Amino acid sequence: MSPFHFDSLVWPWPIAIYLFLAGISAGAICFAVLLKHFKLGRDAYKSGFVQAACLIAPLAVFAGLGILVIDLTKPFDFWKILVFYNPTSVMSVGVAVLMVYQVALFAWLACVFKTPVLNWCNGRWPIVSKIFNAIAKHEATITGLLVMLALSLGAYTGFLLSALTTYPMLNNPVLPLLFLISGLSSGAAGTLLGGVLLNGNPDGKEVHFIHNIEIPIILLEIVLLFTFFAGLILTGGQSQVAALAAIGEGFWGWIFWAGVVVVGLSMPLAFNLFMKASAKRKFSYVAVTASCSLVGVLLLRNFILYTGQMTIA
Amino acid sequence: MSNSRRLFLKGACAAVVGASGFTIATAKDQAGSKVEQSCKYALVHDETKCIGCDACSIACREVNQVPEGVSRLEIEREGPFGEYPDQYFRFTRKSCQQCDDTPCVKVCPTGAAYKDPKTGIVCVDEWKCVGCQYCIAACPYQIRFIHPVTKAADKCDFCKETRLKEGLLPACVDACPTKALTFGDISDPESQVVQVLKSAPSYRTKTDLGTRPKVFRIAAKGGEINL
Repeated sequence: MSPFHFDSLVWPWPIAIYLFLAGISAGAICFAVLLKHFKLGRDAYKSGFVQAACLIAPLAVFAGLGILVIDLTKPFDFWKILVFYNPTSVMSVGVAVLMVYQVALFAWLACVFKTPVLNWCNGRWPIVSKIFNAIAKHEATITGLLVMLALSLGAYTGFLLSALTTYPMLNNPVLPLLFLISGLSSGAAGTLLGGVLLNGNPDGKEVHFIHNIEIPIILLEIVLLFTFFAGLILTGGQSQVAALAAIGEGFWGWIFWAGVVVVGLSMPLAFNLFMKASAKRKFSYVAVTASCSLVGVLLLRNFILYTGQMTIA
Repeated sequence: MSNSRRLFLKGACAAVVGASGFTIATAKDQAGSKVEQSCKYALVHDETKCIGCDACSIACREVNQVPEGVSRLEIEREGPFGEYPDQYFRFTRKSCQQCDDTPCVKVCPTGAAYKDPKTGIVCVDEWKCVGCQYCIAACPYQIRFIHPVTKAADKCDFCKETRLKEGLLPACVDACPTKALTFGDISDPESQVVQVLKSAPSYRTKTDLGTRPKVFRIAAKGGEINL
């Protein structure tokens, strides 16, 4: 069986990229909120890391939606998804979450960048300052709503696949949690990588803060990945067949063990622990660690999507 | 500040609970007040009578104008089994199972996949379909496909739009030379389809997934014995 072409394959790699982008958007904005709330406060907009997260979140979600629309067989009919709703469809609910998420996202971005935007306007266009002030008044509500929507979006990427009873490996209750957590870790990695590229200080308090959260997240991801496959193998039947075909010998087995487990999880964990122990963080350390994490999450999405569709119930 | 946050959290939780409660309540309501169906069409494929001539799939292609490369109905063959001259094949029908509990309808984001309340037939609204292929992935029988011309999901609908409209039997049933296919209203105890089902033990595939398919099969003798 070819790793990229087989009869039971319905959704190929663009969907994996979409799931990755939705996850990284949700993760990045969660870390932006955490940074602002616990570390930076009003000056959050000055930090390269917050800027990076605030760039990644909307761009990733737009790119993801773009890929999703292009991947339809009737791309010009995409508006029908927005007009017609089916409450039993995870995709329909997810699209609704995505729409509200984007509103909350831009409202929150307005709160964060209110000062620089108003400074730039410099008294011109009074309507702009009116709008920004009106939004900023509800910052607490917007922030809470945004975090909840981001977490829903991250989990939705997993529920989208776990709703498919056809594929025993995907129809798995751990999948939404696994995708949520790996989405958060990709968001952290994206924020760090973007931050140092935007001239953020690689030894700054933001990096220390994110690394402290990243270590338990990676550990949790390892636990979830273990539970995911242990659960499938213990279920027996086609679930076991699917799990063993996925992580056993072959192309996707290599992707899993070398790409996901070693590059995506073990190496970032080791680097993070090393950076925690050694006093100073450097640009290259932070960038390499974050890149490993990102590659790992992208490979995990592709691995789960392809191997999941290989075995049917 | 902390007070307003608590208030917000409380409010948000109440909203979530309210919204989910409302959805559940209305969903139950819909299930309870379902209009009585006028009928529920089902099909029996008697594999002991099937000779694998493909008359059914050819008729289906012609009547429903299914382009080459895709198909609404296929006869899958296994075999030959046994020693000459006592050789035989096994034939199984691969087509929409017309589930009563439909995975495809549940996942369709636009409601393009729907179960016709009058006939119980699972159909596709070509216009509403955007081609996300979620239904194709959700169908455990893997019988859905994207129609190369309309670009919408397509599959067997018991010839609802072609033959049934004219008061005729589905094309495959009519074409079968050995009368291996029986079509009819399963809710009518007098119908031929119910009589056939009562006369011999039948089976359906993948019922453990809770799909409750309305395509029944009368099993031919097995080929190989696999553990």
